[in-house]
Amino acid sequence: MSVCGPREGSDQVDTSSGGLVRSHCVGTTAVVYASDYLNKLSGEKIERECRRQLSCGCRALVIDFSDTQLVNSIGISILLGIIDVAEKSGAQIVFSDVNNQTVELFEMLGLTRHVVLAKDEREALLNLSHFETTTPVVH
Amino acid sequence: MSSRSENFRRVLGRVVQQDFVGRAAELGRIMAQSERANAGRGLLLLMEPSAGVSELLRQAYDQIFNRRSDVIPIYFAFTRNETTAVSAAIEFLNTFVQQYIAYRRDEPVVSEAPLTLQELVELAPAADLEWIEQLVESYKRLRFSNDDKALVRFCLGAPQRIPAGRGRAFVMLDGSQLAEYLNGVVVLGTEILRVFARGSFSFVLAGLRRQILEAAHDAECNFERLDILRLEQLAATEAAKLVEHVARRQQVATSEAARDLIVQQFAGSPFFINIYLQAAREKRAALLTYLDCERLYVNELFGGHIHRHFADLLEEISPRLDTRHLLIRLLWEAAAGEEQISTFEIWRKRLHMGAAELEDVLHRLHVQEFINWDETTVEAGAGPQAWKDYLKIRYRLDVMNEPRALVVADMLADSLKRAPHTMARHYKQVANAGLRDLISRFNCQPVPAVLFDYQNFSTKYKGAESETIISGLQAETDFFKLPQTIHLASCSAFMSDMRQLCEEEHCLVAHTFEEGSYSDAREVIWLAADIESKLEVDVAVARAWCERFESMAERIGFSRFQIWLISNEGFSEDASKLLERHKAFGSSRQQLELLASRVRDTVPSEVVQSSEPDEFLMVVPMGEDNELIAANTAEQIAKRLTFRPEAINQIKTAIVEACINASEHSFSPDRKIYQRFRVESDRLVITISSRGVVPANLNGTNSSTEVKQAAEERRGWGLKLIRTLMDEVEFERVDDGTSLRMTKYLRPQKGT
Repeated sequence: MSVCGPREGSDQVDTSSGGLVRSHCVGTTAVVYASDYLNKLSGEKIERECRRQLSCGCRALVIDFSDTQLVNSIGISILLGIIDVAEKSGAQIVFSDVNNQTVELFEMLGLTRHVVLAKDEREALLNLSHFETTTPVVH
Repeated sequence: MSSRSENFRRVLGRVVQQDFVGRAAELGRIMAQSERANAGRGLLLLMEPSAGVSELLRQAYDQIFNRRSDVIPIYFAFTRNETTAVSAAIEFLNTFVQQYIAYRRDEPVVSEAPLTLQELVELAPAADLEWIEQLVESYKRLRFSNDDKALVRFCLGAPQRIPAGRGRAFVMLDGSQLAEYLNGVVVLGTEILRVFARGSFSFVLAGLRRQILEAAHDAECNFERLDILRLEQLAATEAAKLVEHVARRQQVATSEAARDLIVQQFAGSPFFINIYLQAAREKRAALLTYLDCERLYVNELFGGHIHRHFADLLEEISPRLDTRHLLIRLLWEAAAGEEQISTFEIWRKRLHMGAAELEDVLHRLHVQEFINWDETTVEAGAGPQAWKDYLKIRYRLDVMNEPRALVVADMLADSLKRAPHTMARHYKQVANAGLRDLISRFNCQPVPAVLFDYQNFSTKYKGAESETIISGLQAETDFFKLPQTIHLASCSAFMSDMRQLCEEEHCLVAHTFEEGSYSDAREVIWLAADIESKLEVDVAVARAWCERFESMAERIGFSRFQIWLISNEGFSEDASKLLERHKAFGSSRQQLELLASRVRDTVPSEVVQSSEPDEFLMVVPMGEDNELIAANTAEQIAKRLTFRPEAINQIKTAIVEACINASEHSFSPDRKIYQRFRVESDRLVITISSRGVVPANLNGTNSSTEVKQAAEERRGWGLKLIRTLMDEVEFERVDDGTSLRMTKYLRPQKGT
């Protein structure tokens, strides 16, 4: 069963799937935190959380990589899948606090063509708030 | 007395007990046959050609001899040197008397000493002298009576003449070399069974399965008093042990890769493994690489033990040279061609033979399992690979008159090219044995229905921790009751053209009954395929498989069937909808494993300092994020070389990708990743190896098409990343599996 929420500002653990993905909402933006190693399993957890947030009405996603030390190619392919899902839902997506080595990988595999990178979560939210005020919602 | 005690004496065994591997169950069965409870019963040991039986019986003999009970072991091997039933029977009588006396005197050396009957009589213990003298006298009288049948029966029946209280004979007859038809009026195999099956002593008759069964029927044996034990080739693990033991005994150096190739090439045949390693010793050849193995194999085919084995058989089957050439031609053309099934009449015309002569030839070929003959049709193309290779070279040399050097070179090249395919087929079979094993265990167990519905499973559990999935499955309320499997075979066994579409073990047909209720209404044929795919299977592939199975069901006449497709990563949304429309089941690898655990654990890594001073070796099991252990180890080593943090991260990512590639695509037999870190003054060289299949995308090429395809598929990026992150990337040539060498150069840090 999908659990919608959380209340604004509060941290959320996705207990319905049992995956320990930290996330919280700021307005209609969900901030999802990637773990220290982004691989198939942790990538799928993030994907699941993003899908859940979008189905609960979020209109923008921030994936924060501040804890992420290492990313593998399967993890990157899952991130591309998340970008597709967000695009289909008409949601914006920003990656924040990505370390230089990971940026290098993202560039190598073409991710940076599809996603905005922000220095940190605050900058990501600022970018998105600018987008929200300038883009009309189409129903 | 324990047979493993220090006092155990080797009598007839050609190897010490510890070196006799792979036949423990069969040896136990023969020992049980010698027990009093089985007195008077016979055991037919039905041997697959070249499965080897002689050492098994010799080991049994030694165990019984050392036990010193009232059971007296007698072992007799028929040889092709005996030209008549009479001479073979006389030889048996000699052996019986000799081994009886050896046992009674408790002198192993007497068992095989070259002694005449008269000398044996002189060695007989006082208590046995009278009856043995009478036995020999009776034999001498019959010997000159011109009644061959009576003489044969007398000799074979000698064990019945042991007086009460002097022990009871347990006769083991090794008929693996039993000539099909010996000259004269007595058909030996049949006669043996007539005499033994009516005797009061226990016996084992071992020989070619088709030959022995036929003899038992011809002798009109009472099968209630006969037990049957089937002796097939060794399983891969047992055969690998045998190769190791024999190689050690013969002082032949081997590698693991070579060992496994030998096992697969000879399909676990103890006979071929033994003579092949014997040849290696004789030629002082080390067997370390595939080239070593195939060079010796080809030598053997052209003039070694293997050549002599097949040449002798062919000569016995078809003694006339002109007919033999025609036979070789016919056998090879049938084996190499599409049409392997032919008629008796066509064979008769092509071999220019009379019906009786051809029947004799076909019967002998059938007994050796080189063909299958049912009196009307002849199916060629059977027999071990070595037989097919032998036929091919004989055809090219004798029939086509091609230059020997050319045939040798071609055979060596072909064998070398075949070796990796032989191993790949084996690895894939092992990897997919799980599906076969799982379906064979279906027996009306209730399992969560979600395990057969990928879309539902994905929605509920994708990305969840395994504990969560397990507890979730336990809480499931929608259950599906598995049917009971009664027969399981590969699709190609039903439709040979399926062989072109999938590997045998990937595609299975299971005949099942729902609820274990045997009625037409409850009969369901399961058509299961394990589809190789790195990604979720798309709708086109799913449709192709559904249509393929539906067409197969219609052609064969399966009225009720259940399609079940399995893919590593499951199925796309559209593919899942299509499966639903076709009422087909779809499962991911994870669902399959969960199902398997319903229907019926990580090893620590080891870091070893190698013999090289600046080299570290590490072996980690595949899976469980163990690539991180390798990456972290590399980090520690790289730090010693003062690599910049960015470079260290690049090395770590490259190692992770190399490990993932090894885990995902290799069908590795040992599920291990071997890593070597070599520290040089200006570089770190890392080699990641795994055994198994070389994946198509890791063949060492870097075509633009490959990169383009990889980008489109969003997977298969590993090699591209590795090549970008490391300075040099190279595939080392290895026989078995993949070995990727990656080099990162140390560049001076800015300001230093």
